[in-house]
Amino acid sequence: MSGIAGRRSGLTWAVNLTVLALVILWLVPTVGLLISSFRDRDQIGETGWWLAALPVEQAYRTRAEGEARQEGDLWVIEGSLFDTAEAQSALGEARPGIARFGTSAREPGAQDAGTEAALRDGGTLRVEPDGQYRVTTPEEPDDRGQRIYFVAATAPALTLDNYRTVLGAAGMGRAFMNTLTVTIPATVIPIVIAAFAAFALAWMRFPGRGLLIAAVVGLLVVPLQLALVPLLNLHNRIGIGQSFVGIWLAHTGFGLPLAIYLLRNYMAGLPRDIIESARVDGASDFQIFRRIVLPLSFPALAAFGIFQFLWTWNDLLVAKVFLPSSGDAQVMTVKIADDLLGSRGGDWGILATAAFVSIAVPLVVFFTMQRFFVRGLLAGSVK
Amino acid sequence: MNTRMLGSAAALALIAGASHAQDLRFPVGEGDFNWQSYEDFAAAHDFSGETLTLTGPWTGADAELVNSMLAYFAAATGAEVQYNGSESFEQDIVIATQANSAPNIAVFPQPGLAADLAARGALTPLAEGTGDWVLENYAAGQSWVDLGTYAGPEGDEALYGFFYKIDLKSLVWYSPEAFEEAGYDIPESMEDLHALTEQIVADGGTPWCIGLGSGAATGWPATDWVEDLMLRTQTPEVYDQWVTNEIPFDDPRIVNAIEEFGWFARNEDFVNGGTSAVASTDFRDSPQGLFSFPPECYMHRQASFIPTFFPDDADADFFYFPSYAEQDLGNPVLGAGTLFAITADSPAAQGLIAFLQTPLAHEVWMAQSGFLTPYGAVNTDLFASDTQRQMNEILLNATTFRFDASDLMPGEIGAGAFWTGMVDYVTGEDAQSVAEGIQARWDEIR
Amino acid sequence: MSPILQGLITIVVGVGGCLGYFWLSNLLVDRVIFPARGPRIAQNIRRANAIRPWLFLLPAMLALGLYLVYPVIGSFIRSLYNRSGTEFIGLDNYSRLARSEDFRTAFLNNFLWVLVVPAASTFLGLVVAQLTDRLRWGSVAKSLIFMPMAISFVGASLIWKFVYTQDPDIGLLNAIRVGLGAAPLDPLQLPFWNNFFLMVILIWIQTGFAMVILSAALRGIPEETIEAAILDGANPFQVFFRIKVPQIMGTIVVVWTTITILVLKVFDIVYTMTGGNYGTEILPSYMMTFMFRDDGVATAVAFVIMLVVLPVMVWNIRQAHKEMR
Repeated sequence: MSGIAGRRSGLTWAVNLTVLALVILWLVPTVGLLISSFRDRDQIGETGWWLAALPVEQAYRTRAEGEARQEGDLWVIEGSLFDTAEAQSALGEARPGIARFGTSAREPGAQDAGTEAALRDGGTLRVEPDGQYRVTTPEEPDDRGQRIYFVAATAPALTLDNYRTVLGAAGMGRAFMNTLTVTIPATVIPIVIAAFAAFALAWMRFPGRGLLIAAVVGLLVVPLQLALVPLLNLHNRIGIGQSFVGIWLAHTGFGLPLAIYLLRNYMAGLPRDIIESARVDGASDFQIFRRIVLPLSFPALAAFGIFQFLWTWNDLLVAKVFLPSSGDAQVMTVKIADDLLGSRGGDWGILATAAFVSIAVPLVVFFTMQRFFVRGLLAGSVK
Repeated sequence: MNTRMLGSAAALALIAGASHAQDLRFPVGEGDFNWQSYEDFAAAHDFSGETLTLTGPWTGADAELVNSMLAYFAAATGAEVQYNGSESFEQDIVIATQANSAPNIAVFPQPGLAADLAARGALTPLAEGTGDWVLENYAAGQSWVDLGTYAGPEGDEALYGFFYKIDLKSLVWYSPEAFEEAGYDIPESMEDLHALTEQIVADGGTPWCIGLGSGAATGWPATDWVEDLMLRTQTPEVYDQWVTNEIPFDDPRIVNAIEEFGWFARNEDFVNGGTSAVASTDFRDSPQGLFSFPPECYMHRQASFIPTFFPDDADADFFYFPSYAEQDLGNPVLGAGTLFAITADSPAAQGLIAFLQTPLAHEVWMAQSGFLTPYGAVNTDLFASDTQRQMNEILLNATTFRFDASDLMPGEIGAGAFWTGMVDYVTGEDAQSVAEGIQARWDEIR
Repeated sequence: MSPILQGLITIVVGVGGCLGYFWLSNLLVDRVIFPARGPRIAQNIRRANAIRPWLFLLPAMLALGLYLVYPVIGSFIRSLYNRSGTEFIGLDNYSRLARSEDFRTAFLNNFLWVLVVPAASTFLGLVVAQLTDRLRWGSVAKSLIFMPMAISFVGASLIWKFVYTQDPDIGLLNAIRVGLGAAPLDPLQLPFWNNFFLMVILIWIQTGFAMVILSAALRGIPEETIEAAILDGANPFQVFFRIKVPQIMGTIVVVWTTITILVLKVFDIVYTMTGGNYGTEILPSYMMTFMFRDDGVATAVAFVIMLVVLPVMVWNIRQAHKEMR
């Protein structure tokens, strides 16, 4: 008996570890995006997101500033690198320790801090780790000042600036409301319609049923890009034009085959005897549907509901075609893709943030709904 | 007279309400703008109560800039103006015209697409006399008229597009300080540029940053290279025949231009990150290498818009992508531009095209940023920077100006096979077979 | 009216109208047209029951007919016309595709996608569903694995750029390569293998879908069958493969089919990651290169896609027929 228990706990360990490994594997890419969305553009380009918590070594450049004074036969300029104009504009108030310095862009870190470098004109440059520098030249220097490059490790800077930029973009709130207005009916309507149709196809007898099921399965694969332009023309002819009604109908039409297919398969798998006995008891089809099939199909309905919600929330193509392009009808995906990414295409931080903002709501919905979702799954287990 | 006019314009701006009460960027009457042209226009046009809708490829900062220009139109005429920019303008405008939901005016970045829509009857020809105006007032006016003239649905040619805002492509960007420190001179000829490229490698540096990445449009920056090199190795006539496919794509002269590009892009030592990075680096990220220490590269060939993607306070300048000293082809310039076309006719739409013929419409934008114009009557003192003024000079001094060939070719080629062909080329396929592949695609669509 | 209120009202009207239709139409049939009383009660009930399926199906049939059948027929006709849609050219668009090398590449790649992605996603989904079934933190693990489903394809492509990018300071994969002493390379430019790197993205997304559906099915298996097997001395692997898998075979097929269909529709990943370059084109993204330019060819590609899944469809229809008997 104990042998079995031992084997079992070993297996449990293996299972735990395997699941953990899978979860980590699945999470890593998203975590990368999340971390990147808090970093600024320079740091993203400098080190990988997995090093975001470590200081970033970056090269800066500046010029020696200030009056040269004569010491013996040498001209000397002294000061702190952090007080120079170019370092100020790059670093602001930060005072990172200086690791290395140099005099040419090719080798910005040629010398260790605290040592002395020889200049081309016979002078010397000395930079201390705390930023104090000393330039000596044999002749009186001109106004431009000696170029100094230095390598400093700046503290990891996590910022909310990217989020401010993305969320602060004009019209983002409106776009959020528009997305909800599109998404909720476009999720509920197809479920309702599909549930009735799936029930009819699964449990009612009528001529042509097989043919209809075949047709639904066949329609699953219609690439929706194909349907966009003819349908838009149709909407214009019947007076819907580009509007919310139009996009609800479009999402309903495009989502229906999968909804009917999934729900019919699920409903057809419900135990025959429950339904038959209800029939024998004299329940009408409508009653059977409402009292027995619908509650039992909850997991399938919830599952499809979540998929359809995610699908319509993340949709870009359908929204672009069926909603007017003016600002007051833009949904979030369109807003982000057309307005934000266009002007910020090269900025990885902004891109990451935009992607995260657009997935935040689906995630929240999923995590809050999943309690019901899991309960639904349990309730659906027919034993 | 003047003050009365100003008063009425201001009053109109007030009446027209909040929807376009965007402040005028430069107060009317102040500065060296051609205010007279604005006042004359305001006196002659009144579109109070009308709404003018526009769509175009400009988003973000560019959208603000075009709106700042449109605000003057709104103030002058009382019309309400709505501009909507879209990253996928090309797709959106086709959908909108097919659905009869097009705005009044569309701003096309590519003449090819405008020509397509004109042939489908989606565009309205511009008012009579517009062509003559362009001929008289634009530098190289004939070429701008030709580029805006398309065959209508019945095959009759008319002027459909009015060019406004030009981009210059034959530019090489560099960091003056990096050049100075390394002791490099601005190359005066293509031979010098080749020599400089080799010199930089000999000095242990990497000469070029080239990035072709652009999502689904990956490859387009390479087409600019090839076009520029075409103009530097062949006569403009050959270039024109190439654009119309009278000379096939796999002609030795074109293959040669592709290989000229390959001399730069297919040499592991010449490009930052090696040749595999050329195809995958995003064109917006690519110039960053100019400004790092140590410099990841010293030169970047890209159009006049690219400073938008430079870091703030970048130390950058440009020089003309030089021509071969040994070839007698002058100083050819490659450019592109956006054209305004009427997609749903209305008096206000016609009015806007007329407004674009006032110097003020150009000056408002050029006094801010990123705007070049072939219009001779503008006050060039108003350019926001010397850089822009110098670019405009290159534009006005060009012995040959040619429009971006890929924008003129049919969409499948200029925005399809040519792009993917160039990606194939930089990743190892040979120029001859790439050119043959593109020609094969071209044969198919005829 | 505030947009929030407007949105709420439209939501109530839309959803309410839909529910109202079913309720009212049933009421109408049962009470008014064929009331289940009076002299012809039996006939009335029979008639009402004959009509009811069609009441249930009507909205779905209307929506499907209008939004899918009509465009499909329209598109098929369009695919027989030339570029501008003015001239009937028969099957020329199709023969042109057959001659095109790009199309053949796209076709073969698509074949790979259809083989690999549904198989891998379903298998991984099944494994995760089974492993997390009895785990105390199983629902947490499931949520995390499901998470990519919530991410748009464009967002997912961006996420994976942080994995694949050649610059070892941005791309994780190349950072690992460099850490191991190898030179960085662009995984998306490796001929042939780049297809698999792109497939990984879709597998990453779709495993969550498979997992959710399959774990519901696993819970549905009657306990007795499992207990009986354990009493007979079956080890966990035997229980899983011999008892559980056969019982949920129907669901596995559904999941497999659904993902197969999705694979044939998703163009976004290839479109944004490689733009179809480096020999990674697949049919849906190949179709996009023609959309709005040459609708004749674009629609022809769409029909080829539909032909590709025909076997899967036929098989599914057969399966549905079998169940009904």
